[in-house]
Amino acid sequence: MRAVYYDGVTADRHDIDVELDGDWLIVGPDRVPLSELAVADEDKSRLLLSRPGSAGWRLILEQPIEPGFRARLPHPTRYGSWIDRIGLAKASLVLAGVAAGVLVIGYTAPAFIAPLVPESWERNLGTAMVGDFGDNACRNSAASRALAAMSRRIDPAASGRAPITLTLIDVGIFNAAALPGGQIVIFDGALRDTKNPDAMAGILAHEMAHVRRRHVTQALIRELGIGALIRLFAGDVGANAQQLVSLSYTRANEYEADGDAIGALARAKIDPRPTAELFRELDKDDGPDFAAAEFLNSHPASGDRAKRFAAAYRPGVTYTPVISAGDYKAMRDACPLKHDAEHEKEEAGKGK
Amino acid sequence: MDAMTSAAAGADRAVRFTGSWREYLPIAATNVLLTIVTLGVYRFWATARQRRYLWSRTEVIGDRLEWSGTGKEMFIGFLMVMAVLIPFFLFIQFLFPALVARGKMAAASGIMMLFYIGLIYLGGFARFRALRYRLSRTYWRGIRGGSDEPGWNYGGEYLGRVALSLMTFWIVWPWAATRLWNGRWSHMSFGPLKFRTELDAEGLKGRWAAVYLVPMAAFAVAGVIAALIGLGSAMSGSEPNPTFFAIILGLFLGVYLIIPLMTLNWYAAFYRKAADALSLGDLEFGFDAGTWDWLKLFLGNIGLAIITLGFGISFWGYRNWAFMIRHFHLYGEVDASRLTQSTTHAPGEAEGFADAFDIGAL
Repeated sequence: MRAVYYDGVTADRHDIDVELDGDWLIVGPDRVPLSELAVADEDKSRLLLSRPGSAGWRLILEQPIEPGFRARLPHPTRYGSWIDRIGLAKASLVLAGVAAGVLVIGYTAPAFIAPLVPESWERNLGTAMVGDFGDNACRNSAASRALAAMSRRIDPAASGRAPITLTLIDVGIFNAAALPGGQIVIFDGALRDTKNPDAMAGILAHEMAHVRRRHVTQALIRELGIGALIRLFAGDVGANAQQLVSLSYTRANEYEADGDAIGALARAKIDPRPTAELFRELDKDDGPDFAAAEFLNSHPASGDRAKRFAAAYRPGVTYTPVISAGDYKAMRDACPLKHDAEHEKEEAGKGK
Repeated sequence: MDAMTSAAAGADRAVRFTGSWREYLPIAATNVLLTIVTLGVYRFWATARQRRYLWSRTEVIGDRLEWSGTGKEMFIGFLMVMAVLIPFFLFIQFLFPALVARGKMAAASGIMMLFYIGLIYLGGFARFRALRYRLSRTYWRGIRGGSDEPGWNYGGEYLGRVALSLMTFWIVWPWAATRLWNGRWSHMSFGPLKFRTELDAEGLKGRWAAVYLVPMAAFAVAGVIAALIGLGSAMSGSEPNPTFFAIILGLFLGVYLIIPLMTLNWYAAFYRKAADALSLGDLEFGFDAGTWDWLKLFLGNIGLAIITLGFGISFWGYRNWAFMIRHFHLYGEVDASRLTQSTTHAPGEAEGFADAFDIGAL
């Protein structure tokens, strides 16, 4: 057989004859054991042989190659050695099964594992992560008393359970959040825009449910576990899969937390309608497009949440305010400096 | 034996791409399938398969290139990099919010600053290694390329030049980019031959100035038109809304169209000039893609992805490679008997560093 030979030492082209001799291939002046040859590439026009021990050693044979000779040479790697061995179809099925298993475990595991994580570990992590919020926390004894009174109304059975730390944060955004270690932060912006203490109670009950249900722990596990893993390998395909997993999961958690909050308000005889009203106002800000995007959004659309809270109202029940108006004023005035500055700006703006 | 192989011999081009999309389709389709069912892990093997095909369909002075890299080595390289980076990322991910939560803003921004400095340095390092890796896995007539430099110094040079560019709002980028090109390529070799390059910013400054000036001019024109419309509507007594819309439209066009287009216009010239400035032994290089060619490539890629509902993305690598090769030129000759095997360190498995992040090598 005619062949082109490169010896890997120089780029010189050698047009030579090769001949099969038992378990050996005679390549010009050399004898090479067949067992030392690998097929680097094969297509309709040629067969490219290499010799893994000698870098750059290449032998190019023109197709068609005598079938008896070809049969004695290994197959080139196609999809990958393992997949080649068991076949593409079978390998795809096996891999798809494994992938589905990984996704199912990754999807459900955080909910199973979260209750098993000792609360003291989580508290240590929480302390390490958020500390005492430094200068951002609004420290005011009257406000702290009011906040404690509010949380006692919502969660009267708290005495035997892990403590929840409530902190007011001097940041003017409308938000409240549950953080690792039983920490709940309420931002000054949320206090300023929520005039009714019962609505604030609804928000607080929702965040407390996240803590009690270990949703925060779940989120941490998801983030550190499956999320990190998928993001690692993913590229584009997995990024979307990961987003779906984490979003739908968070939505399930949010729905559960709303349910718990409604239950807590009912037990404490706190009117759920101010919370519903708050969500309705948020819904208005969201605009009509928001409801359509509900599936893609981690929080359920505010309009649906408003309806759910409103439906929890029972006409026969005598509701009492969660805390007195005076106590709530103390909470809202807890972050005085920034609060006043922004308030003045707002007032000045209105004056014009 | 004909030792001298001339790139100019005959009317045929010295560098040709002989692949076809029909031939590549089964590779693309199975790569997509396996990448999905492995939740992305297969992408290293997919990259290796794609390159094996593209390289084998690239003819350089009558002989086909060969890609000898494997998916496994890229995968292991990726794992090694992750073993170093993940603890680092996790540390930052927890440290930064912890400092913010404690009100230590100065320390938090200091940490973030260090983090970005580290990222830019690694980006430069990764770019160097990607080029070195690709050359070391590329064989032509049984000879490969490589580099003796590990790339740590290049990472520092990259950091310095990018930092300077950032501080000057990228005004000095033509100088930085050309010197970085030299910094990478002058340390690369093929066989015993070192790449030589003396690229400078001469001839690239005008197009770079256009990146700044054309959007400004467009804003000015949009402003004048808007004012005229506004004046017109004020005279006719109607609401001056068109002014507002014209300004918004001008801003939109400026940001989303003019700036990327002018940047592309600059890069087209940059790559033509960079290829011209590069040589290897008696071989000279050339590249002839204009701004319009690049634009057609990108629009084609996007269009293909849209009409195939995303599957076409698996053809981007093919299209980009075919584009590069079709516009690439090689002149001069190579003395085959003096083109001996590369003595550069044959890189180990951890070389997949940048390929793990899909950082381009050029």
